[in-house]
Amino acid sequence: MPSILEVNNLVKKYGDFTAVKGISFDIREGEIFSLLGPNGAGKTTTISMLSTLYDPTDGDAVIAGHSIKKYPMAVRQVIGVVPQDLALYEELTARENLEFWGQMYGLGGKPLASRIDEVLEQIGLTDKAKNRVKTYSGGMKRRVNIGVGLLHKPRLLFMDEPTVGIDPQSRRAILDTVKALNAQGMTVLYTTHYMEEAAELSNRVGIIDHGELIALGTQDELTRQVGQTDTLLLHIGEEEDPEALSTALRGLPGVQNADVSDHTVSIITPSAEDILAAVVAKANERGIKIRSLDIREPNLEAVFLHLTGRALRD
Amino acid sequence: MRKILAIIIKDAIMRFSGFSELLFFIILPIIFTFLLAGGTPSGDEDARIRLLVVDEAQTALSAQIVSELAASSAVRPEVVSRADAEEQFSQRRASSIFIIPAGLDTASLQEGTAAVDFRQQPNNLNASIAQRAIQTALRRVSSAVSAANTAVSQREEAMPFASDAEKAAYFDQSLELARELQEDTPQRVTVIRAATPDQVEYDPRANSSAGQLITWVFIPLFGISELFAYERATGTLRRLLTTPTRKATYLLGTISGQVLMAIVQMLLLVGFGILVMKLAWGRDPLALAVMLVCSALAAAAIGSAMGAFVKTSGQANGLSIMLGMVMALMGGCWYPIELFPPAIQTFVKVLPTTWAMQGMLDLVLRGGGLVDILPEAGVLLGFAAVFFAVGVWRFRYE
Repeated sequence: MPSILEVNNLVKKYGDFTAVKGISFDIREGEIFSLLGPNGAGKTTTISMLSTLYDPTDGDAVIAGHSIKKYPMAVRQVIGVVPQDLALYEELTARENLEFWGQMYGLGGKPLASRIDEVLEQIGLTDKAKNRVKTYSGGMKRRVNIGVGLLHKPRLLFMDEPTVGIDPQSRRAILDTVKALNAQGMTVLYTTHYMEEAAELSNRVGIIDHGELIALGTQDELTRQVGQTDTLLLHIGEEEDPEALSTALRGLPGVQNADVSDHTVSIITPSAEDILAAVVAKANERGIKIRSLDIREPNLEAVFLHLTGRALRD
Repeated sequence: MRKILAIIIKDAIMRFSGFSELLFFIILPIIFTFLLAGGTPSGDEDARIRLLVVDEAQTALSAQIVSELAASSAVRPEVVSRADAEEQFSQRRASSIFIIPAGLDTASLQEGTAAVDFRQQPNNLNASIAQRAIQTALRRVSSAVSAANTAVSQREEAMPFASDAEKAAYFDQSLELARELQEDTPQRVTVIRAATPDQVEYDPRANSSAGQLITWVFIPLFGISELFAYERATGTLRRLLTTPTRKATYLLGTISGQVLMAIVQMLLLVGFGILVMKLAWGRDPLALAVMLVCSALAAAAIGSAMGAFVKTSGQANGLSIMLGMVMALMGGCWYPIELFPPAIQTFVKVLPTTWAMQGMLDLVLRGGGLVDILPEAGVLLGFAAVFFAVGVWRFRYE
């Protein structure tokens, strides 16, 4: 498949601070590509540059043949943007919102009216279209927020953390919508800090941290970088000292890495079963009580931990 | 063009999504215009200031003074007893009282011993106007007496009177003639008014109509800043600029929409002034249109510039109301600017409300036309150019 987006050494600086440090990647037509990374990694800044909102400090990107620096208006014609925060007029109804945004995309008349009907159907709000958005639940507002980005049938849809702060049911609906859109041929650039969302949706994943793209590939390709390792998660009480346990465990045979996130110690190991007894003994020796433990096979979380030495956290 | 129209319609729907906006758009402005005009429902009624007159002299001269006051365009004399006048004055139901004491007659006037009594409530505009009207009436009466005295002197030099009775009769005839001539000389009054540099030009209905129009239109136009802050806070402005829409389109749509709504609001208030208050707003429709558009553009430009600096909607809202009220007060929209000290009168020329108010008064009060309002319109357009430039230069979407 040809690339619809080619990012070349994109840089964004704010004074002395570099938010995005020369990232490069491409997205093929028809795929879902996820940018996975913790908060503050540079995902939103990257999307803001790609959607022509920010001028890159250096580098460029080409979307559907148009440079974001030279032809921003042409780029805007082919992209749709679903921002992280709701960007709707709450005093307007869902239909009025869609009408307004459709006109901003250059649509009008009967084609716009029929497209609005399609989008309302797609986001499941046909019956509530005449209600003001301010009367909607958080999940319904999220669906309208997505609907706005779909109005002009963009070839490339940017979705910036669209599931932040919503209930599991609405989250499920949004993930299903993304899959359905992709099935209809829409290319999606999806940013998230939820590893499981990236794992479920993506054909390929780019892992971003501190403004750098530190890994890129399919899930299989990325987990292979970690090797045949397990992640052993030890959940300890709030009164315990996780750093002390983490330090003690790093010296055990078979422990490749140990990291702390809140009151959980994450251990990377070739075989969790083989080190389990020794880990529990070390905790007892330190007087630290383990409340529960999980064993996870290689995943994107483990990849991030492997690459950064830190857990992928909110 | 379609995008600009879409922005205008969106803003109109948002602005009028609740009843409260109608309250501020038309209901309150009309109520305040009506109240500050003295509750005058139409121009057919006597809009002059009520002046309580106590005539204890009961002479031909005192009757002449009351008659001159009745002919005044500023006050409406109401002859009452001293007790009644003092009671109303002490209860602050009368802004001033004018007492013509016993003994005031032509002889006392000729002898220079005549004196009258005028009492006024402190800091009261109506009382100040009444005082001027009384001074004018006294001047007219005494000038007739003075003319009669001159006639008697000249006659006596040419041909001495045979008796005092003949002299008195000649004086009465001369006085009557002087009064008749005075009645037929309205042009002289005009000349005197033009020569008075600090006269207070005031018609409660005209001033109220123009002043309230400016007050209630400028404040929402300053509120363009709130619109910008709201769109930044909700992220809609940021989103808008990821669509194929230019910043210029957004600014043009937003500002022109608010200006259009302001012009509709002003036309409604002008219509109220013409139909209900019988004001002469429609003498020169072109001049009126120029003033309305220039005023709206100046206010919208200030709102746009403010929008570049405010951080939140609440901040913008508070600032718009505060600036709007202060500018309206200082610009003469609530009180005639001529009542301010000279230094303040000079200072307030930096305010667009001052120029808007003067331009409006040129039209509705002074009967001016397009040529007369060109200076005010030019200054307002200058305000618009400067503040639009600042607003566009410092425009930000987050």
